[in-house]
Amino acid sequence: MIRCSRLLTYGCAGLVVLLASGCSHWIELTDQATPPTPSQATIASDLRVPLLLETVHITQNGAPLATPPALERQVLGALETTQLFSQHFQSGYAQPAPNQAHVTIRLSMDNHVEPHAGEAAFRGFVIGASMFLLAPVISLDYDYGTEMALEVERWDGQTKQYTASSSGTAHYYLFGASPHVIDELKGQVTDTCLTSLLDQLVRDHTFYLADSSSQSESAIRTVSVGTRRPIADVHPVSTNTPASSP
Amino acid sequence: MAILATSVHAADPAPQITIGTQEVGLSAGYLLPERLTKHHVTKQQGPAFMPSWMITLTDPIGDGWYRGQVSIGAEVVYIQFQEPVLTHGVGFNPKIKYTFVADNRIRPYVEFAGGPFWTDLGNKIPEESSELNFILTAGVGISYFVTSQASINVGYRFQHFSNAGTSYPNYGINSSLPFGGFSYFF
Repeated sequence: MIRCSRLLTYGCAGLVVLLASGCSHWIELTDQATPPTPSQATIASDLRVPLLLETVHITQNGAPLATPPALERQVLGALETTQLFSQHFQSGYAQPAPNQAHVTIRLSMDNHVEPHAGEAAFRGFVIGASMFLLAPVISLDYDYGTEMALEVERWDGQTKQYTASSSGTAHYYLFGASPHVIDELKGQVTDTCLTSLLDQLVRDHTFYLADSSSQSESAIRTVSVGTRRPIADVHPVSTNTPASSP
Repeated sequence: MAILATSVHAADPAPQITIGTQEVGLSAGYLLPERLTKHHVTKQQGPAFMPSWMITLTDPIGDGWYRGQVSIGAEVVYIQFQEPVLTHGVGFNPKIKYTFVADNRIRPYVEFAGGPFWTDLGNKIPEESSELNFILTAGVGISYFVTSQASINVGYRFQHFSNAGTSYPNYGINSSLPFGGFSYFF
């Protein structure tokens, strides 16, 4: 009798675990080399120039897509976190003054979606044919990848391009299938790729400083005026202009 | 995080059905006999009710008129046989459905279902000798989306049930089932 109740308990526990696992999902990102948050630049505010996000072009599996306004806001928000620029404008809204030096940014995203539709249909058929008993065992997959190209044009017409890519796979069981799982995958892939792009942008920050077109890219510029005398008697008149202030 | 999510606009009647979108529905119809051979003599008929649940497995596949989505799920079938004798049948059927999505609001579909079916009509007619049977269904239908999340459906099904040779006679019972119903997507 005791043995029977134990078996029943273990059976119920197993069933609960099986059903719970049937609702689960997990996401694997292929490229996880980039830092989880974009780098920040520490730049004196008088050296920063405004930024204009001019275009965000998206294609998915080669077909053009309308750019969701939320994505533009996400990109602009991510650019703001870098603290590279003094103001952040978006095309179609407020613009920098015509004679104001600013940096123009154009972003293109090429998304690749592989929903494994045939495989999902076959696995779904097998799950249905098993009266859903195999639902906690057979997983379904959804691949998503994006390649981003960021073109940055300085006020004097000089341009630079940065590229990054990221991809990932969402694995889920039938009862864990949800539009949120796919959205979560897309969000993580987009975040990772954008972070990688902005990291490159921040590393190249001297290119976007207000005086970078007239000065060298040296981090510390020193001008010393004086006559050559013994070291103890030197009285330099020097200006240290660190490119980054603490 | 979910910046790229497809947003559903309340004013837009076009349904936004993606992977993981679930559907619950209720269909009702009237079962009519299909006597396909000389062994089939029973004129079974009666109302049928089919509550169902489905989940979308794929984003739209293909291009052109056949572009569509696959969903799987299950339904409970209840049939009240009013002829030849008042009996009942109830079954649980996993089902698979392919919905054509070329049009936003009018979406035809084909569906297949099958599963165990118990009926006390079984040993009261010359075609079938057991109460435990298996039912197979193939059907077509059209969903008309009245909102982005709700549709009304009409269609036709052909149903066959028999006992898979577990007892004899086992000629099976074939029926036509025109039906109508509604679905809610979430």
